[in-house]
Amino acid sequence: MPRTKALALVAVLTIAVSACSDSDSESTTDGSDAATESVVESGITVEGSWARNSPMDATVGAAYMNITSSVDDTLVGASVDESVAMMTEVHETTTQADGSMGMQEIKSLDLKAGVKTELKPGGYHIMLMNLAKPLVVGETISVTLTFGSGATQVVEVPVLEEAP
Amino acid sequence: MFVVLNKSQVSRRTLFIFSALLLASCSTTASQTVGFVRDEPLDVSRVFIDEQTNSMQATPFNTVAPAGELLILFFGYTNCPDLCPTTLADIRAAFARIGDDSKKVSVAFVTVDPERDTADRLTSYLASFVDRFHVLRTTDMKQLQLAKDAFLAYSAIRNNSDGSVEVSHTATTYIIDESGFVIDEIPFGVGADGFENDLRILLKKIQ
Repeated sequence: MPRTKALALVAVLTIAVSACSDSDSESTTDGSDAATESVVESGITVEGSWARNSPMDATVGAAYMNITSSVDDTLVGASVDESVAMMTEVHETTTQADGSMGMQEIKSLDLKAGVKTELKPGGYHIMLMNLAKPLVVGETISVTLTFGSGATQVVEVPVLEEAP
Repeated sequence: MFVVLNKSQVSRRTLFIFSALLLASCSTTASQTVGFVRDEPLDVSRVFIDEQTNSMQATPFNTVAPAGELLILFFGYTNCPDLCPTTLADIRAAFARIGDDSKKVSVAFVTVDPERDTADRLTSYLASFVDRFHVLRTTDMKQLQLAKDAFLAYSAIRNNSDGSVEVSHTATTYIIDESGFVIDEIPFGVGADGFENDLRILLKKIQ
């Protein structure tokens, strides 16, 4: 009798464990399927994009986002319509030897396969120069990213007051 | 899972939770600033920079907080797309979280690009972030240099051949007390959380 009990317990545990692993593998499969789908589209996944709203008199703005490429690639440029800004460049904010901070244009930003590259305040950003009008919260701007592979991708960037 | 504890276990458990909460509360209302505090704080009580008013008049502004208040000072420029708006937005967010006490803090913005930053432009720029601010702008490079020296700050402007202008500047936010001492130097990148943390600590200190 005790042996039967023990067997029953083992059986229950086995079912419980397999149930767990089943649901685990299911969710993993779902996740990778979803990822594959968006990768097939362009090879580039962009998420978390936003641009800070700009003060009335400001002539510049910055857009931020996370970019992941399925293959080794480079981000070589960005552009927006003239109704948004006259000039767009990929920039990096860097700390100089004297401790001060400045910016420099990045002609080619490495995107390692499968590794998320963050464009965020104090680091890489897409600089919008000579804004045609202020960036207002609630609006969305279209930023076209150009990659070394020749691919381009249009990203809809919401204007926000704070990072999402 | 439901666990039955005997009396001594309960009291031990209560004590443990209590200590954990105490530790947690210590870490959230930390007594430690994220900014840099010097053993001998910078003395900026003798620094004067022209303050621009809307009427286009400039009067010398002494970089000292009013009695019982704090003064935040930042060197920047309005054509700055990343560091300056991020810092000012973080300060705005910290003020909102702190509430009424933030009325004891004003923000002084020193332009390192006075040629392009007109008084009007600076005024509307700052007004979009905070209510209580001082527009500090001088075209007297000696006066600006003296101020930078006192804060151990640096800035440079390079006019490139393609017409672009490159500006580099110290992105530290200085917090000054009523005696004109820099009591906290907040590096870029601490976010609204960092500003909130330090301002709460310093506001408590000056009460």
